[in-house]
Order: sequence, then C-alpha cells, then structure tokens
Amino acid sequence: MNAWLYVHAPQLLLDTQLALQTSAQQQQPQVLLAGSRVGARQVVQYNQAAAAAGIALHMAEVTATTLVAELQLRPYQVAHEQAILEQLAQLWYQDIAHIALYPPQGLLFEIASVLRLYGGFQGLLQQLQQRLQEWPIRYVVASGDTPLRARLLAQAGQSLLSNDADSVQQAVAQLPISASDLEPVHITRLQQVGITTIGALQQRHRSALGKRFGRAMTEYLARLNGELPMPQQYYQPPAQFAQQLDLLAEVSSWQQLLFPLRRLLQQLEAFLQARQLSVRALLLQVKHRDGQHTEQLIGFAHPVWQLKDMLGLTQLQLERQQLTQPALELALQAQRLEPRQPHHGDLVQASSEGAAPTQSLGELVSRLQARLGEQAVQIAQPQRDWRPQQVQQWQVWQAGTATAMAMPQLPRPLWLLTSEQAIDPQQWQLQWGPERLASGWWDDAPCQRDYYIAVDQQQRQGWIFHSEQGWFVHGWFT
Amino acid sequence: MAGSPEWAPVALHCRSSYSFLRAASQPQELVQRAIELGYQALAITDECSLAGAVKAYVAARNSPLKLIIGSEFQFPELGCLVVLVQQHQGYAQLCSLITAARRRAAKGSYQLSSEQLLAASAQLSDCLLLWRPLSEKAFSDYYQVLQEAFPERLWLAYSRHYQANDALQYRRYRDYQQQSGIPVLAACEVYYHQPERQPLYDIMTAIRLGQALTEVVDQLLPNQQFCLRSSAELQRCYPMAWLTEASTLSQRCQFSMNELSYQYPAELVPAGRSADDYLRELTYAGVTQRFPAGIRGDVQEKLEKELGLIAQLGYAYFFLTIHDLVQFAQQRGILYQGRGSAANSVVCYCLQITAVNPDQIDVLFERFISVERDEPPDIDVDFEHHRREEIIQYIYQKYSRERAALAATVICYRLRSAFRDVGKALGFSEAELSYYMRHIDRRDQQLDWQQQLQQQLPQLAQTTRGRWLLQLTEQLRGMPRHLSQHVGGFVIAATSLTQLVPVENASMPERTVIQWDKDDIETLKLIKVDVLALGMLTALSKMFKLVAQFHHRQLDLASLPTDDPAVYEMLQKADSIGVFQVESRAQMNMLPRLKPARFYDLVVQIAIVRPGPIQGDMVHPYLRRRAGLEPVTYPSAEVQSVLERTLGVPIFQEQVIKLAMVAAGFSGGEADQLRRAMANWKSTGELRKFEQRLLDGMLARGYSADYSQRIYQQICGFGEYGFPESHSASFANLAYASAWMKCHYPAAFYCALLNSLPMGFYSAGQLIADANRHHIAVLPADIQSSDWHHQLIPLQAQLAIRLGLCIIKGLNGERCRVLLARRPQGGYQHLAQLRELGWSATELQQLAAADALNKLSGHRYQSQWQSMALTHQQLPLLAQLSEVETDDTPLARPLEYQDIAGDYGTTGLSLRRHPLALLRDQGRLKGCRSAAELPLLRHQQVLEVAGIVTCRQRPGTAGGVTFITLEDETGLINIVVWQTTARQFKQAYLTARLLRVRGILERHGEVIHIIAGRLSDASSELDQPLLTKRSRDFH
Repeated sequence: MNAWLYVHAPQLLLDTQLALQTSAQQQQPQVLLAGSRVGARQVVQYNQAAAAAGIALHMAEVTATTLVAELQLRPYQVAHEQAILEQLAQLWYQDIAHIALYPPQGLLFEIASVLRLYGGFQGLLQQLQQRLQEWPIRYVVASGDTPLRARLLAQAGQSLLSNDADSVQQAVAQLPISASDLEPVHITRLQQVGITTIGALQQRHRSALGKRFGRAMTEYLARLNGELPMPQQYYQPPAQFAQQLDLLAEVSSWQQLLFPLRRLLQQLEAFLQARQLSVRALLLQVKHRDGQHTEQLIGFAHPVWQLKDMLGLTQLQLERQQLTQPALELALQAQRLEPRQPHHGDLVQASSEGAAPTQSLGELVSRLQARLGEQAVQIAQPQRDWRPQQVQQWQVWQAGTATAMAMPQLPRPLWLLTSEQAIDPQQWQLQWGPERLASGWWDDAPCQRDYYIAVDQQQRQGWIFHSEQGWFVHGWFT
Repeated sequence: MAGSPEWAPVALHCRSSYSFLRAASQPQELVQRAIELGYQALAITDECSLAGAVKAYVAARNSPLKLIIGSEFQFPELGCLVVLVQQHQGYAQLCSLITAARRRAAKGSYQLSSEQLLAASAQLSDCLLLWRPLSEKAFSDYYQVLQEAFPERLWLAYSRHYQANDALQYRRYRDYQQQSGIPVLAACEVYYHQPERQPLYDIMTAIRLGQALTEVVDQLLPNQQFCLRSSAELQRCYPMAWLTEASTLSQRCQFSMNELSYQYPAELVPAGRSADDYLRELTYAGVTQRFPAGIRGDVQEKLEKELGLIAQLGYAYFFLTIHDLVQFAQQRGILYQGRGSAANSVVCYCLQITAVNPDQIDVLFERFISVERDEPPDIDVDFEHHRREEIIQYIYQKYSRERAALAATVICYRLRSAFRDVGKALGFSEAELSYYMRHIDRRDQQLDWQQQLQQQLPQLAQTTRGRWLLQLTEQLRGMPRHLSQHVGGFVIAATSLTQLVPVENASMPERTVIQWDKDDIETLKLIKVDVLALGMLTALSKMFKLVAQFHHRQLDLASLPTDDPAVYEMLQKADSIGVFQVESRAQMNMLPRLKPARFYDLVVQIAIVRPGPIQGDMVHPYLRRRAGLEPVTYPSAEVQSVLERTLGVPIFQEQVIKLAMVAAGFSGGEADQLRRAMANWKSTGELRKFEQRLLDGMLARGYSADYSQRIYQQICGFGEYGFPESHSASFANLAYASAWMKCHYPAAFYCALLNSLPMGFYSAGQLIADANRHHIAVLPADIQSSDWHHQLIPLQAQLAIRLGLCIIKGLNGERCRVLLARRPQGGYQHLAQLRELGWSATELQQLAAADALNKLSGHRYQSQWQSMALTHQQLPLLAQLSEVETDDTPLARPLEYQDIAGDYGTTGLSLRRHPLALLRDQGRLKGCRSAAELPLLRHQQVLEVAGIVTCRQRPGTAGGVTFITLEDETGLINIVVWQTTARQFKQAYLTARLLRVRGILERHGEVIHIIAGRLSDASSELDQPLLTKRSRDFH
C-alpha cells in the first residue's frame, strides 16, 4: 500500500526566528501579523509567552496590543516562510528522497519504501527529529494511506500514525468540514445545511454533491479516498558542485596545487556550462596527513564560468597564501552559484575612449581585490544631499553598485578638502556669493554655512565658507 | 529712495498652510510676523485657493498691515504665476478663475492650462500678474502673448534665496526686462513666516512625496530663506528699484474683504412686498394655526420683539429661506425639526420651523439673535435621514448650483495622524510608531502626550530623530490637511456664489463646496442653512404612518398630547430603549434618579448626562436639590434669575454665559468671546485669559472666592462639551415624542424603529428583545408572508411585527422588492416556482439559510440543500422534477442550537430561545443568577451572573471605570468594572463574548449594578453551540 507522511508546521516562520534568539528574547511575547492594512491585521503566529498572556489565533492587532502592551509585532511574510520550508525539505532530503512541498507550512513524504529502512514510524520520526536539534520548530505529523488524508489530519493537529487504512479513514471522517481544503464558500454552504464533518460529507451521494458543487467536489472526495491519484511534484535540491582529488604525492604549497586544481576546475566549467550557471566563490579544501583540513575561500567580484577566468583569479589569490602542512587530498566546492546574466554597462565603459570590453572593469576590480583584499578597492558614491561634506562617500566596490542620482549642477570645486582649514578672511577677496546651505537638521551633522568663491593672496581661487565657527577654506578651483 | 524712511517692505507671494503641505505657517502667523517686521502689505497667495484668506483677514483687520488677496498657479510650460486682486471686481474675477480651475478637476486638485488662462484674460481685467518664468525658453515662448493678454498688468517676480544660481538668475531677469519691457519686481517666495519653520516645511515635503526625508533630500530647499525677511535684509538682497516696484504695485491693490457683502436670495418675497412685511404676514398666519385658542399676551409681546429684532438686523430673508425649505418638507411629508438658538423662538414656532411650543417651556432664550452681537442667527434643521437628499436636491434645483454650495470643513492634523506622518517621514517604521503611540493615553488629564512619552520611553528623546519626532508632531498638529464638506451647511447667495468665494468639487459626485469653513462664514456674516439628517425623525415619521394606518389616528410632532403622566412614569422606570437621547446606559441610570415628570425635566435630563456637567460636578448637587435633600439657595437675586429653573445649579451653556454677565459683569461681547473660548479651550488655552477677569468681577460684586472659583471650574468643565439649552429642548421634544409612541403604540414604535436602522445605539436583536419584554409578538421573515420591510400585522386582536426580508444579510433590496411584487396571491407552491419567477439560486440559498423558505420546503437544512440543486438547473420544467432526487436522502433536522446559530449567522438575531436559556437548561451556568432575579436580591449581596457581552463602554469622564452590559434570556445586566479588576482579568475583560462575573450587587433606588470582583471568559461554552454575536466595544 501507499504510505504517506505529512508534516505541518503552523508556526514555521516564527519558530525559525525564535531559534535565532537568546532564551531571554524567546521569553518575550511576540507575534506575526498578517493583513495588508494597518489596523486590520490579525495574529497568525505567536509564541508561548504570547499565548500565556492570552493572545489567540486571528486576534485583531488592536486587541492583542491592548492585552499585552509590550507585545513584539512583526509582519508575517509568506515568501520567507516558503524559503524556510525549502530549507527544511533540503535538510530532510538526506533521509527521504520523495518530498513534496505544500507551501508555506507543509511537507508531504512518500514513505512506503523508507518505512522499513527506519524500522517503522518511530524510527523515522526519530531520524527526522534528529535533524532539527539546532532548529526547534513545532510541527504536527500524521500518516495516511492517501496524501490528502495524511495532510488533513496533520493540518487539523491530529498526529495519527497508523498503517491501518480504516482507522485513518475513521479519524478523517471525524474532522470538521472546516479542516478540509475545499473552497471556503463550499465549506460555508455545507455547514449551513448541517454537514459539519468530513464523514457526513462522505455519506452524501456523489451525484447529489456533484449536482450542487460541481466536479471539483467529487474529484476531491475521490482523491481523499485514493480513487483518483494525486500526482506529486517532488522536491529537487539545488544544483551543487563538490569534487575531490587524491594527490598522488604530498604537496607542500598552493602553487603546486594549481595543476591538479586545473582538472577540478575543468569539471566545474563543464558543470556550469551544462546548467548555464556562473559562480561567485570557490571553497578549496586540502586534507593533511593528520586528518586536519585547511580551507581557502576564493571570492570573485563578478560571476565567472570560464576555466581561464577561474584559474587566473584563483592563482592571483593563492599567490599570497602559504600552506602550513603538506596536502594529501584536494577538494573543490562551488559556492554561490547563479544563473548567468548579461552584464550591465558601467562607469569605465561610459567614460573611457573607444569601446572597452564590458568585462574589463569587473575584471580589473576582481584582480585588484584579489591582490589587495576586498576593502582596498572602493568607489566614490555621490549622495543626494545639500551638505558638501555629505555629498561624497566611499563604499567598497561591488559588482553592479548602482550610482545614486547626483544633485543638480552646482558650482563645486574640483578639489574638495577632506577637512576644511581655518583661514583669515582678511587675506581673501570675495568674488561670488553667498550660497547659503542650511540643511541636514535631521541628523547629527547639520550644516549652516555661507559659501563664497574667493581668491587668496596667491591669486588661487578657493571655495571658502563662513559659519558660526568662523571662516574656512573647503576646496580649490585652481 | 534707497533707505528712505517711507519705504516699507511688501510681500507679494506667500503661501500659507492652506496650500496643504506646501507651506508651513498658518495665515495668522504670516500676518503677525509681517506686522512685527513693519511690512506695509502682505499677499496671501495659496495655490489655486482662497481657503486661508478669511483667517488672514481676521488677523490683519485691526492692524496697519494691508492684506492683499491673491492666488498662485503652477503651469508646467510657463512656470509660476501669481494673480493679485486690485478691486472688488478683481476679487470676483479671481474667485471665478479658481472655481473654473477647481471644478474641472477632482477633489483637491485643479486644472488650468496656459491656453485656458490666456482665454480668460479678459475676465481678469482687474487682476495683476506676477510671473516667474520656468526657463529662458518659457520666457521667449510666452512673454509676448502674456504681455498682450495682460497689458500693464504683468510683472516678472525675481526672488533671491542665496542659492548657487543667484547671479545667473539676476542677469536673466535683467535681460528679460530689456528684451520685453516687462518690469521686474522683487518678491521672495514665502513658504513659512520664520526660518525656524524650515524643518516642518522639509517634513511636509517628505509627507507630500510619501517618502522618507532622507530619500528626498534633493527635493528639499537648500536653506531656510523662504521666510518673511526683515526690511534691512531685503535691502541687502535686492536692488532698491525692484523693491520699490513691488511697493508701487501693492498700492494698486485696494480690495479689502470687508467690502464683501452678502445678498440674500430674494425670490422668496412676492414682487412689491418687503421681506419684513412678508415675514410678518407668514408669522401671523402661523399664529392662528399654532395658537387656535388665541395667543397669550406675553407670547405675543415676545413675538413682536423678535420680529422687531429681525427687521432691525435684516434677517427676514434668512427666516424666509428656512421657511421655504420646511414648507417643501411639509408638502413632501418629510418630518423635520429646527434647533439651534433661533429655533426656539415664537417666530420659528409660528413659521413651523420648530415644534417646541415656547408656551410649553416657560424659558427665556438668551441666545436668540441680539443687536449687540450682530451675528447671523443659527438655525439647524434636522430632516428624516432617509429623505434629506430630497431637500438637498430641492435647494440645488431652486437656487441652482451657481448659487448654492456646501460649506467646507477644514480637516486638520490631529495627534495621531501628525505623529504617524512625521514619524514615517523621519524614517521610523510602522511598528515603532504604533509601539510609541500605545504609550500615549489621550485621556490622561495630568500629562500631555509628550510628557507621557518622555516619562515612559526616555530613550526616545535621547536621539536626534526622536526629539524631532516630538517637536515636529506638535508643530504639525492643527495644520490643515485638506478641505472636506460640512455635514449639511448650505450657503445660498442672491446671485452667483462664485463672485463671493471659490467653489470646488467635493468627494461626493455632484456636490460642491465653497473654500470657506463655518468660522469664515461667520466672520463675513454669510448665512448658512444647516440641513442635517436625523434618524429618529425617520422613525417617528414611520410611526405616525403606522398609527394612521392601523389606528386611524393622525399624529404629528406638534399635536401629540403634552405632559402625559403615563409617559413620564415609563421613563422613570428607565424603560427607554429606543427612546431618542435617553436610551444610553448612562441616561437609563439617570432616569430613575432624576425622575422626569414634565417636559422641562427632560430638557435637563438630556443635558445633564454629558461630560460637561459631569466634569463640572453639577449632577449630584442638582439631584440632591431635586430630591429635597439640600436647600435650594442663591447667592444673589441676579444669580437666581439665571439659575432658578435648574435649582441653582448651572446645567446649560447659556446659563454659564449669562452668569458671567450678571455675576462678573461681562459685557455681551465679552460673554460671546467666552463662549467661543469655551468651545475650543483645550486646543488654545484661551479660557485662561478670562479666569482673572471672571474671578475679579465676581469678587467685586460680593461673591465669595469659593463660589467664584467653583463657577470658573464649571466653565472649564463645560469646555468643549457644554450643551446649549436650545438644542436640549429640541432634542427633548423628540425624546418625548418617541417615548409617547413607545408608551401608547409600542408595536408601531418598534416596527418603525426597526425599519429605520441603523440608528446608532441598539441593534435589531436588542430592540426585538425589548419588544418581547413588552409582549409584542415578533414573527420571523418568511417568503410567503414577509414584505421587504418589517410590517405590522393583526394577530389575535393585537398587532404583531412580521420581520421583513431586509433582515436577511446580503439580499439585494431593489431586486427583492420587484420579485416580491410577483408573489402569487396564495403564496408559492414549490421551490422551483420561485426560480421561475426570477429569484436567483444565490438568493434562494440566502432565503433558505435564514429559514425563510420553511413553509415551502421544510427546515433550513433541507431547504438549502434543495435550492443548491437548482444552481445548475437550466430548464424550468425539469426543476419541478428535480425536487425529488432518487440518489439522495433527506438531511437531518437542525438541533435547536443549530437553528439559533443559523438565525444569528444570517440575520444577526434569533426569535428562538436565547442561547443563555439553552446553556442554563444544560446546567452549564450553575450558580449564575439571571437578570430577572436581580431585583429580588438584597443590596451588597455577593453573586455570580453570566451573559453575552453586548456593550463595553469606557466613558472619558468615569475615571478608569468600564461599564459592561450583559444580556441573558431575561434581560440586561449592568456590570461596573474598576480598573484594577480590568487589569487583573485583562483577557476576559477585553475579549470575552460570554462573560461570567462574580461580584457584589449594588442597588440605588431602582438602579442595579454588579460591581465586578472576578471576570471569567466563558466564550468556549458558546463554541459548542456555534454562536457568534458582536458586541459594541469601547465607543
């Protein structure tokens, strides 16, 4: 017979968030709210501290906050929960090959084959639970002879584990009709005529139901009873690349590893080519005689997929590294795989003469960062601000860094001093001004200055300003 | 001329807060600042609006500052144009221009293209234009056409705000002038009155753009120079010639708002008659109707005095206008009643504007129009709420949209909206802001909101952003957000209204509003007619019709027998559910204590259960004096004359005003200022100005310091809640009328009330429960006998109420009425017949779910099941066959609780047993007393009760007490919950639907309360029999 297991985690997102908190934080009452309009939001997940304070499911935000003034509120994000569900599937994929995702809170396992392997339900559950040691989520698990039965039981909070189809059916029959996932309007109609359990629904004649609710209803019941198959889309783990190589002799430096590495990278290139992927980082791992590992992470400033690029950049980064012990084995893992994307044009291309190849800046930066370290390559980012001292800020260069909109054309000196220098206004002759800048009251660096263009006694044209602190030069035009 | 002593600055382009989020100072702040800086003229030029003009006029009218009226318009291709008014004609032209631009666009926006402006140039012959060209191209493209359209009336307005392009702009304007000959003048763009408002202006910009401040820095202005600058600063900044050009221009603007004179619509007076004559004629025609036995001497005297006053002040047209409206209502059979100060006059009574017989309440109304105040009388007329639209349409038809429009209401920022908007602009998250806001209790009398936050969340004020949040929220509070329509105040003019004030679109289609609110209207002495809607009038009108139909007795408001003892007896027992104004729980508690026995007692009763008298501590002294427990004394004969009718205790707003006059020597004008200060003392603190004046005045007249202080406290207590006697009297009239109906024609009373819902206080279920207690049979909605509305039907020599199909949620009334008209004489024979006659499958299911098909196809489960099968039925002939299904078995009959649940689910009420009766039967309420048992128990007895929570009420005046009303199968139980108990049992207190309360019974006369000691949530009991019923919480 077919055997199915369904895991339902009704508080998946919140539980995952709680797992990252200290135990003191976990004791704070906290809830997740769903609903788009502020004021019309409802509690959809809540922790035990909140429950103890009287918070209940679907409680209105205003009631909940009146009840518990210190309640922590966060929006419920279905996309996050769905991503977490995928991680959960990935985790259990090690134990069970056939997992179907029922987002955002459910996983269905086809367990006919594995049940024997784990010696029955208890063994299987233990195995599943073991994976969650670092990730204590609350879940209900139920079995069923059809996927739908297992699912309805788990969603209704009935953790029934049984191979006996009759007892599963009996338990399902007792579930309220609201526990089915029929259309809400159909559920209401059924309740309105006193059909309040799934069992009562199953007792009605199918044709009488079909006449009233259409084919979807009869098909649903047929699926529930296993008369109609329910095709499942099983989970496929994301693509991964991990290969290793025995070194035939002990190797004592990274440079010497480049040759065997080339073979691994060739495989990686083929892997990437077949999947139209690119990679942003590689993890190199060497094993030593004593069983210890040394790891080296190679990051790329832009996605790469060609052997020569990967090898060249890796070579650059390894030049600075030393191997402390001889290596016996080399392993390569591709990290941060990404679909290939056409490159967007950037600053250098626009400003350089002729048509520089698009990749050249990315490559250059990759090489610079490879040699000097990531922090050493920065880019000046103009900020939208009236305050001259705020207009320019430096940021670590990253591929695709967007250029913020600059302020409108203003007379600004070519050379802006990093720190302004006090001057004696007597020595200066004002040429133009003032430009009064009074802005930034909202943060801790408000500015109140009158700027002038003026020449000093050496006839140099400078940008000087007057503020409460006195007169300063802030930049030079010539 | 430079630096000449005669030169004084002018400001020709100032936006005020009435440009909504485009300027950060109120018009009066701009005026005040301009006066301080010695300006000779100031133009308020809001964007396509004159909404701030009257406010500015009020601020400037007794000062040397000349106020210029104008408006700013933005053109994407031209730049900015400011239109300034020269003479009265120019003012009317500007009003028309704004009206046209506003009427072309949706509420809150305007549409004016350069072509439209040029086309209207002939209609702007008395206006001057300032132009800020968008660019050199805009200038060269348009200067010639503008020059031709506005010869000698066009200037280029140069402004310098110390920006990077100052010099460039200056050269451009000089070139413009050389090229075109159009003169340049200096005119700063003023968006706030002083530089300190820059942060508020920046925040408003961010709010307007709907983004955080840091996201829009490039759209902020670079400095704080967009303020009114000093004369010295202006001379430093601009060439003197351009400054004097501005002054010269301002000389040409001579219009003042005080030239506006309002003309009443005159068509109501027959040709050749004077308005005063005609009014006198109509009034005396009314005398014979109203006083068939002849008018008493003193009443006649009062009538003559009123007519004299009306003639002297020229208000005859106003009375005639209202008379015309109520005449129309009478013809249409629409019930109405006038209220407001003038409403309780003999003239109004004779003109049938009000139904309160001045003979009946022997009271001097001091707030009737007075020569001294010279302000328009105030008459509000309430109409049946279902039919007010007919009156409004009549006004539009009679006077046309040109001449009639609604007054505006200025919607201002309040604490919550300001806090939220400022917070978002400063980059706080929604969650942070709601967290902070939860720490603000607006009812806290001791600490203002900023102090509360500083005390509870000191860390907030330690950050720069937090400090700005507190400061800017306070600044934004009270700033206008947008114009909305007044509830029903119409302004009607003799000729086109748009000559007087711009008119714009309201959010309701086909409604137009003027750009002024009621204060502006009062300032300029325009007349506003308040056409309001009142549900109780609808209900009374329906009651009268039912009584005419079933008892053949013609009743109307004026003809009800007065001072009927049976009516007062009923009210004294607090049997007042459904009775206008005295049906709230607080009123029901007061009724057995105050024991109203005549009409004037009702006037007091209505006014006394208000925050004003409660906060002023007037309730208990009045009750004690009324019960004879305390002697009625007066400190002087003057005070006696004012307070005699309320036993020496001031209850009404008028009495407080009058007291200030007789006891503290306030003049009529001062007393009137006091009244205004009382109306908004919380927001402005203006009342304090009167404190010393009042105390000194009373001491000087020999009143004790203690008594004076008490009167002052009472005035403060009245504050915004003071209730005028004139309103109370009008309300008392309706309260009496509805009580009379309840007492004598209860079936008609409940039926009409049910047909007028929603009325605010009680739900249909609660009214029906009360009807049952009065032994009125109520029959369920049924497809065979119900109409759409509820009806009265004779049943065993009595009248019963048959619920209409309107009680069933979700049915479409229009359709049902059509379908009901097709119902066969003897009712329907089978389900399919309904389908054939046009009922849809969904409607049939709704009817079946509400058990309205019971007589046709059995219980609600089976009926619904059958009607569902009709869903996919195409051929009517087959429908009949399908009712017998071979492949189906009948559904089980619903259990009682399922039927009750079904009733509540579909109609919000059930005529079956109360759910509490079921629970009690099943032994699930062991130890709980029922509401009916309470009167038999002794005072201070400890007991337990249970009931469905129908109402949670926490009045601001009750100091942390919550009143909870429980309903069981025998009646209502009043629970008093003190704050500590509420905190201790917070969950049950806040969320229980079925509440069990253990507590102590307290009895005051016939009033019984339970003082709660323990609350427990028994809602889960209801979940077995699935029941949900909504409570009215915390209103």
